[in-house]
Amino acid sequence: MSFDAERRQALREKFVVFAETRDEKVRAELIEAHLGLAEYLARRFANRGEPLDDLVQVASMGLVKAVDRFEPERGLEFSTYATHTVVGELKRHFRDKGWAVRVPRRMQELHLRLSNLVSTLNQDLGRAPTVAEIAQAAGVSEEEVLEALEAGQAYRFASLDAPLPGEDNTTLGGSLGEEDAEIVDVEHRVALSPLIAKLPERQQHILHLRFFEGLTQSEIASRLGISQMHVSRLLARSLAQLRAAAEPDEG
Amino acid sequence: MPSDEVQLVMPADPEFLRLARVTAMGLASRLSFTIDEIDDLRIAIDELVFGLIGTKGRPGRVVMRYRLQPQGLEVEGSGLFDDNEVPPGLTELSELILDAVADEHELVPDATAPRFRMLKRRSEPAA
Repeated sequence: MSFDAERRQALREKFVVFAETRDEKVRAELIEAHLGLAEYLARRFANRGEPLDDLVQVASMGLVKAVDRFEPERGLEFSTYATHTVVGELKRHFRDKGWAVRVPRRMQELHLRLSNLVSTLNQDLGRAPTVAEIAQAAGVSEEEVLEALEAGQAYRFASLDAPLPGEDNTTLGGSLGEEDAEIVDVEHRVALSPLIAKLPERQQHILHLRFFEGLTQSEIASRLGISQMHVSRLLARSLAQLRAAAEPDEG
Repeated sequence: MPSDEVQLVMPADPEFLRLARVTAMGLASRLSFTIDEIDDLRIAIDELVFGLIGTKGRPGRVVMRYRLQPQGLEVEGSGLFDDNEVPPGLTELSELILDAVADEHELVPDATAPRFRMLKRRSEPAA
């Protein structure tokens, strides 16, 4: 028996063990062993306006579902079953994103360019700029500015609770954030919504500054040393994640 | 100064929420809202429309009315739904978000005439 054949056989046996025991360690090993498949499938959906990292995360969630639902006794190869599940998850991600995934590259580039420009204007003017001011500085129409602003929005994530492959206590939501040194009013926001506590630290912090302390997006950007448009994106993403997390699981 | 009104009728589906946002953004831009205020407006419209149609949408339409006021932009939304169900309304978190991003807001989660209204004031005209 070749090495590959041996490996496949070992994985088949592991699926049988997992089906019987639901052992977390075996589950993590099975997920880990198939991460390459998830990444391969995610790459097939690249160049459609979505960051590859996001697609890999979506594909990984699909993989986790596939591992959990696979029934080895049916005789189907796991790779066949998983491909179907992962591609379904990726398609659903694109469907949920709707128009956003079809944002032309030109508009994505303008969005990035405006991000720097808004920061400069903020400093020069001592306040947040208007759309007309941004358009004038960028040499584009106000409509193009509005379209580019909208292009950075509308993130939807299927679940904050999907465990990351191979990491028992790490969720997708948790992995997206960065540690933040500043202590914020954790108790208040956790009491208000346990869902917020599942967001990455940085997103929690930005939500807190905007909705609990009443800072503007430009003020938050200045405090955190990031662009206003980055704050805008993270806020939009956080609110979309909170909505998604509040939805009942479709299974 | 007489108020100007723009109306938009859209399916009660989150896919079309972008149209409600972009319309508001365009009008807010005419009123010289800053980029911060425009983002607030966008967040407020999302929260209120989701409060009417839920995150998955429902059969029917939403009629959006935008009124350009001297002090800012007033937005009203009315649900014309086929299912006669009570809208999900606003969660405590949504209320808190709306308190932060809108100057006035109200959502009536009524089964027969569900609606919302909000006002976003322009903080100070750009020089």
